[in-house]
Amino acid sequence: MLQANYFDGRSTRVRLVDLSVVGEDLVIAGEGIDFRVPFIGVKVDERLGAAPRRLRFPDGTFCEVRDLAALDTLLSMTAHRDGWVDRMQRHLQFALFAAVACVALAAAGYEWGLPWAAARAAQHLPPAVGKTLSVQTLKLLDGKLFMPSKIAPERRQALSAKFHALRLPEGGSPDSELLFRSSPQLGANAFTLPDGTIIVLDDLVTSIDDDRQILAVFAHELGHAHGRHSLQLLLHSSAVGAFWAFYVGDISALLAAAPAALVQARYSQDLERQADDYGAALLAHNGMSPALLADALKKLAASHAGTSAGGYLSSHPSTDERMRHLLLLAASFKSI
Amino acid sequence: MDNHPGAESPLQSSSARAPEQLHFTGSGAEYFGIWIVNLLLTIVTLGIYSAWAKVRRLQYFYRHTELAGSSFDFHGSPTRILIGRVIALGMLFAYNYSVRLQSALTIVVLAVIAFVMPWLLRNSFRFRLYNTSWRGTRFHFRGTVARAYRVFLLNGFLALITLYVMAPFAHQRLKAYQHDNSWFGRTRCSFHARAGQFYLIYLLLLGAIVVFWLVIGFSGIGGALGSLLQAQKHGGHSNPQAVFRVMAILYGAVIVMAVSIGPLFHALITNLIWNNTRLGEHRIECNMSPWVLIWITASNFVLVAVTLGLFIPWAMVRQARFQLESVRLFPASDLQEFVAAEPETIGAVGEEAATAFDFDISL
Repeated sequence: MLQANYFDGRSTRVRLVDLSVVGEDLVIAGEGIDFRVPFIGVKVDERLGAAPRRLRFPDGTFCEVRDLAALDTLLSMTAHRDGWVDRMQRHLQFALFAAVACVALAAAGYEWGLPWAAARAAQHLPPAVGKTLSVQTLKLLDGKLFMPSKIAPERRQALSAKFHALRLPEGGSPDSELLFRSSPQLGANAFTLPDGTIIVLDDLVTSIDDDRQILAVFAHELGHAHGRHSLQLLLHSSAVGAFWAFYVGDISALLAAAPAALVQARYSQDLERQADDYGAALLAHNGMSPALLADALKKLAASHAGTSAGGYLSSHPSTDERMRHLLLLAASFKSI
Repeated sequence: MDNHPGAESPLQSSSARAPEQLHFTGSGAEYFGIWIVNLLLTIVTLGIYSAWAKVRRLQYFYRHTELAGSSFDFHGSPTRILIGRVIALGMLFAYNYSVRLQSALTIVVLAVIAFVMPWLLRNSFRFRLYNTSWRGTRFHFRGTVARAYRVFLLNGFLALITLYVMAPFAHQRLKAYQHDNSWFGRTRCSFHARAGQFYLIYLLLLGAIVVFWLVIGFSGIGGALGSLLQAQKHGGHSNPQAVFRVMAILYGAVIVMAVSIGPLFHALITNLIWNNTRLGEHRIECNMSPWVLIWITASNFVLVAVTLGLFIPWAMVRQARFQLESVRLFPASDLQEFVAAEPETIGAVGEEAATAFDFDISL
């Protein structure tokens, strides 16, 4: 015997009824109600914590049951079986397993899945996307952070000529545009925009006195252009932002707006290493030593020593580590 | 309140019946199991399960909400919600790309979105209410599409061109549109708050924000920012660490404002809205303390951040319990006498699109 509230679905009238199982049927009896339905046609709500469960009948009427233990006893006499999600939601072991699995999946997705997907997506986005993004970025920065270059046009032309004379390891010569700007705030620095355009700041050209070392920095930037790293970073941060918004958005829109940049430092370091490797390969391909890039890094580090968090190096791995890696590459290329 | 001679004896008027408080019977620990399984299945199915997760979440909260000994229920179908989500996602992509890639197409896409939005929002009200029931009787939303365009497009535009002076008015009209057109079975709701009352609360909000930023300014943080701007104006190198410090302080200030002034405003406006809403002859009272809401919001924020989100189920339950239990219904007659209306079928597209674009529709 199980007590329940019966509702006819047409009004809010509550009728107190008793439920019992007779053979294959469920019997509903109480205030002016007395009928039986084959249990097979009764829909039983899944358990959601201690919330009342409903037994829904084919005619649209239903019973609301509060005594969940008694309902379980009644259900055990029928063919009813709880759904698998229902059972998972209810058991502590499953909840703990789900918690661990969520953390593991999130970590794996962040560590491997996301960089892989970002790299694939960046390679397949139409070039127009990169082009438009670059034009806009440049428009945004010119006049604010970027000033016209003060380096003599002849010197710029000479550097451009050397840059375009480089041979790429995959064949052909760089089709990236080389733009010169100055920026007191950013110091000795170079950037690659989503469409591969490379921006060189005056301080970088003046603080490195060996053109071959400047070319080594260009080779590193070509690595970013080749791997479409700025698009990858953009996709990466969008994905992290979207997931974070989905995860905490229900409870706090503010936390959802927490900058994705907080978790991006390590990812961008990985991209720097990739660019170093590509740059080293490119230098070797052009008969130059990858050690040139190490030398350039040393000079850049020296020029940034005065300011606390130097732009070019902050999102990069430590200079010492990169130099060691590059010298190692230099040695290996020499031995080939 | 209007008297209904003949329908009831004077003894049975609203004052004679005991008020019915909403009760929330859920618990954080219980909801954690449901939430974490939902999260896992959503991740494993690359988001497809999120529609089922949403139904389970709403059912958990609705079924644990009780009025006069009976709980509410949510009937939305996961497949309809999934279709809605796919369309919403498509619109979101179109929106994001058109905003980033500024071109003639941007205006077209934005115009199309602005044009379908009122219709979608009205559908979302319909979907949400139609799929909510109490004692087997469903709610309904019967606002017209024409009014939706007036409420969202025209009033929104008015608020924009008057630099938000008209925003409280637009908000009042939106709530009137929502609540005047809501039905429970064949019983209609009505909304009685005037625009003047909305203006009063918005003025308070404005005052609180001004005072907050004055305090920030006078406590020396403004000075740090000022000197930074000064240094930049004179072409000097600005110290990156100083820039970072100022940014961190500003970000922190915005957070503090959102977990203090935000809930304060939310409590006041929610009280106003529900105290002026009636279900037929039944009066509703909402008595949410702004101070308790500030405490709950701020502590939830800290705990969710510290536990990297694991506290979310407890935070949601805490918030739901406090908000729901501050609502009371003063029955004017027997609550057994509501009659259901004819059934209808309603798609979920509106609701999903509306939530994807981050329109907060608190009902």
